[in-house]
Amino acid sequence: MAAGEPYARARPWRPGRRIAGRTIALAVALLIAALLAALAVAGQRFPTTGSAALDIAHLLRMSALQAGLSTILSLIAGMLLAWSLDRLRFSGRGFVVGLLSTALVLPSLVVISGLIAIWGRNGWVNFIFTPLGLSSGSMIFGLGGILAAHVLLNGALAARVFLDRLEAIPPEKLKLGRSLGLSPLRRLAIIDLPALASSVPGVGATIFLLCFTSFPIVLVLGGGPANQTLEVAIYESVRLDFDLGRAVVLALVQLLACAAIIIPATRFAPISTLFGRRSLLHWPDRGFTATLQWIVLVILLALFIFPLLAVLARGLGPAMVSVLQRDAFWQATATSLTLGSLSAFLAVALAVGLGMSRALEPANAPARALLGLPVFAYLAVPAVVLALGFFLLARLLFIPTGIAAPIVLVIANALLALPFAFAILSPPLEALAKRNEKLIRSLGLSGRDQWTRIEWPLLGRPAGYALAVSFVFSLGDLGVISLFGTADFSTLPWLMYRAFGAYRTQDAEAIAALLLILSLAAFLAIPKLLEVLTNARNR
Amino acid sequence: MVRFITTSLVAVALGAFALPAHAQQSPTLTVYTYDAFAASWGPGPALKEGFEAQCGCTIDFVAADSSIGALRRAQLEGETTSADIILGLDTATIGEGMATGLFTEHGLKFDGLDIPLDWADPVFAPVDYGYFAFVYNTEDLRDPPSSFEELAGMPADFKIVIQDPRASTPGLGLVLWIKAAYGDRAIEIWQGLAPNVLTVTNSWSESYDLFLSGEADMVLSYTTSPAYHIIAEDDHRFAAAKFEEGHYTQIEVAGVLASSPNQDLARDFLAWLASPEAQAVIPTTNWMYPVVEPEGGIEPGFEEMIDPSPALLLDAELVTANTRAWIDEAFSALR
Repeated sequence: MAAGEPYARARPWRPGRRIAGRTIALAVALLIAALLAALAVAGQRFPTTGSAALDIAHLLRMSALQAGLSTILSLIAGMLLAWSLDRLRFSGRGFVVGLLSTALVLPSLVVISGLIAIWGRNGWVNFIFTPLGLSSGSMIFGLGGILAAHVLLNGALAARVFLDRLEAIPPEKLKLGRSLGLSPLRRLAIIDLPALASSVPGVGATIFLLCFTSFPIVLVLGGGPANQTLEVAIYESVRLDFDLGRAVVLALVQLLACAAIIIPATRFAPISTLFGRRSLLHWPDRGFTATLQWIVLVILLALFIFPLLAVLARGLGPAMVSVLQRDAFWQATATSLTLGSLSAFLAVALAVGLGMSRALEPANAPARALLGLPVFAYLAVPAVVLALGFFLLARLLFIPTGIAAPIVLVIANALLALPFAFAILSPPLEALAKRNEKLIRSLGLSGRDQWTRIEWPLLGRPAGYALAVSFVFSLGDLGVISLFGTADFSTLPWLMYRAFGAYRTQDAEAIAALLLILSLAAFLAIPKLLEVLTNARNR
Repeated sequence: MVRFITTSLVAVALGAFALPAHAQQSPTLTVYTYDAFAASWGPGPALKEGFEAQCGCTIDFVAADSSIGALRRAQLEGETTSADIILGLDTATIGEGMATGLFTEHGLKFDGLDIPLDWADPVFAPVDYGYFAFVYNTEDLRDPPSSFEELAGMPADFKIVIQDPRASTPGLGLVLWIKAAYGDRAIEIWQGLAPNVLTVTNSWSESYDLFLSGEADMVLSYTTSPAYHIIAEDDHRFAAAKFEEGHYTQIEVAGVLASSPNQDLARDFLAWLASPEAQAVIPTTNWMYPVVEPEGGIEPGFEEMIDPSPALLLDAELVTANTRAWIDEAFSALR
């Protein structure tokens, strides 16, 4: 009788963790509701001078088509790249892995200008092929351009997350596979794909949302009103028409459409994969498979790296020197770094809180979905609605805009990064809880001990990665700052945007290059730092 | 170590966020405007210095991302806004400004201005003006189109970049330009242009960047854009294409808010803005024409700009009543 009891309720009851997770989810949900409500109320106060015609069904179709294709292509590219990177070893591999993560969070303007520099009419590709009588023309504009930009940004994210899952496959499993002599294909099916499966719904849903709500890319590369999305229509409602009421309605439509994607994705119970430190066992494929991996790697990396190189090449000119000598640049850098650090810590703390709480829920419990939902919902709310909502809320609370700006930016950026942090941290937290539940119960570990002795030491790598993603995400943000930024309060992307707006293209390109370098440095340094910190406790 | 870094970052941040102190007794005039006007390279700093030297007050330029953004911000803030003046709306968006009911009459007379019409608006005061035009690179394009009809007849691989009329004032300007020149035939012109439109960007800057990187043959900008390249960069490659239908006029304006406690001072500022002293700042900071000729004339370089005549301008009320319909018309052709 007594022996059976531990199995009856295998997971420990942790009221603190449960409450923390629910509080976070509820707070995010309430915040979204408050932002929309503030806008709806304000909308009644202002007369609109009229609204341009709108075809919501067409917008939804276009958004869904573009986002669906982008997601599928990104997931495929991500898996191929992760698969190759997991098997191959070469010098500079760590650098490449760090580089992968930076694209997702770069300001869209930077990525767009990089892609155009390669694929545009006047780009590197045409520079090589035009003398041969071949020209790609302006093919980077239109649906193809939108897809290219989205896959570049999100395929890299997918690759990085998938690689992490592959590297987390325990060595015992690999040893067993090797001794059984699994063929590369069988190995993929039996070992790799199950390890990846748990992160596919989360990553896929996130990518879909990002593409569904994508704004500058669709606007610049879309080629005009033919390739519009709902997000763009919402912006227009707010911008010229100032029809806040309609903006709220459209935002709700977008939320519902996104919910139709998020709910199935978050309900899908992730298959717990065991999570350990970087596997020391390297088991490469041989022969044809290895050659194929090299080809895949070289092609995908070239597609990915050349646009970034183009950004660097354009930015590293004489303008760089004059930018570096400007006080405004250093002030914006200090602001960006501070806001980035603060929102990164906030995002990771919230993700850990949510992830822990979720790990306590049995598979298929409705609470699982409820805990994940608000996080993703935030991503589905248009940036312009968020910015306006925050602005109105701050006024409602009598906080002057100047003081509210940094607080709002930290919160807004943390919440924007939260889905990524959550997608990165939730599976390992889940796996840790599951793997160690008997141990925890039999030792009677408290929640605190569970954290310091089990979770923290093993979370180092994913936490470092989540921290870096959140940090750089905030570093690249251009959505929320646009309503709060002033000449005195400026972040790096805002400074870049301002330079673009005053014929100072070269300054803007220099700042873009610096942003890219800074993002890359953060991705290389932050995960290392965390790994050192967490390992130090272990030794 | 991490803690040390964090605390020092916070310290830096607090320094950066510290608000400018306004403890002085003298009144502060707050001007909401678009970013490029307030920026260190824009007219803002020199205008601030010039007016402060004579008013015993402080001028505070607050930059929003665009002039419409500045208007919306004041509108959201309502009675409690700290803005006294909104600067940067133009002849196409005056109607939007009036619809907010935020502004009060300036009570000023603007006679003898060097603008292509008599200024009689009782609420908005002129700040500077310019004409929309398509800018091209003379080295790449020897024989630019000289009318919309010629432009519409160019082969499909001849590309132009334009801006979204809902988000950018030149974008809206193009819609009005074609309407003013072609009336009911505007839709035909738009249909003819559609294959040549590379993309419709959100802001002027994105368009101009695409053009400078060689992605498009022409960009929708101003007749005075080449002056920037000539004066600031000593680069003589760029020119605006002269269209025989004429060029659409944009007059940028400023208005005093009814909620302002400093209305007299605000009016003084608007009157001073239209003086030769203040206008001398405009050409080489905002790259627009001054509304009165400054002493010593306009900066050398501007005389090379094309003659935009006949200067086109539609009636403000007509514009306000029809803007949406005209945008829909243009988009139906582009879609």
